[in-house]
Amino acid sequence: MVRDRALAEDLAQETFIKVLNGITSYKPEFKFSSWIFKIANNAAIDHIRRRSLDTLSLDGAPDADTPEAMKATAIQLDAKGETPLQELENRELGSAIERAIGRLRPEYRACILLRHVEGYSYEEIAAALALPLGTVKTYIHRARNELRGYLEDRRAETGGRDGP
Amino acid sequence: MHLTTDEIELWAQGLLGAARALHLAECSLCLAEADRERKVLLELAQLPRFAPSASFADRVMAQVKIRAPSGEFGA
Repeated sequence: MVRDRALAEDLAQETFIKVLNGITSYKPEFKFSSWIFKIANNAAIDHIRRRSLDTLSLDGAPDADTPEAMKATAIQLDAKGETPLQELENRELGSAIERAIGRLRPEYRACILLRHVEGYSYEEIAAALALPLGTVKTYIHRARNELRGYLEDRRAETGGRDGP
Repeated sequence: MHLTTDEIELWAQGLLGAARALHLAECSLCLAEADRERKVLLELAQLPRFAPSASFADRVMAQVKIRAPSGEFGA
């Protein structure tokens, strides 16, 4: 989620401290792992928003449900104002897929990682993130489209040297 | 009928039923779409996974307030 191992561990630490200190607020009707994940996800998203990391989406606002709304709310990568040095550093950090994930909106990022890295079902993701099932499906579909587009652009730029 | 997004995901994971998977043999559009999807899923599956450092549990427990039977919080 945050593309930094030390930071991820700090956020995980913050999460488990909150979980253990707030254990009396846990409601047993929810899965314990989902409750922990929700706290972890909130910590990560809060951090990403505070630090304004690479969270741009090409697809517009997550709740945009028409092509017009998506276009109107889409953010162009050029608007990020990345300097050549930042762009170079970004290119050198991690694999192409990690950089591509880093460009997703935090909401998309959480869903795609839970689905395709952690192996959660759509229903489990919806429960963990307190989102409607349809929204989870939409986020994952858009995230995969963005990842595909980014990876294909990268392959075209590097002539296929940047991954499978 | 073309494969749906959900069916393409199932195919990329090797879970799509044979009857629908056969469609890929006769539809170049769906095959191209499925192949693009498979490449993304393969890359996601290869992301590195990390375990926390050895001192992680100690650092967490140092900040956990445990309520004593008296109701007081201790370290």
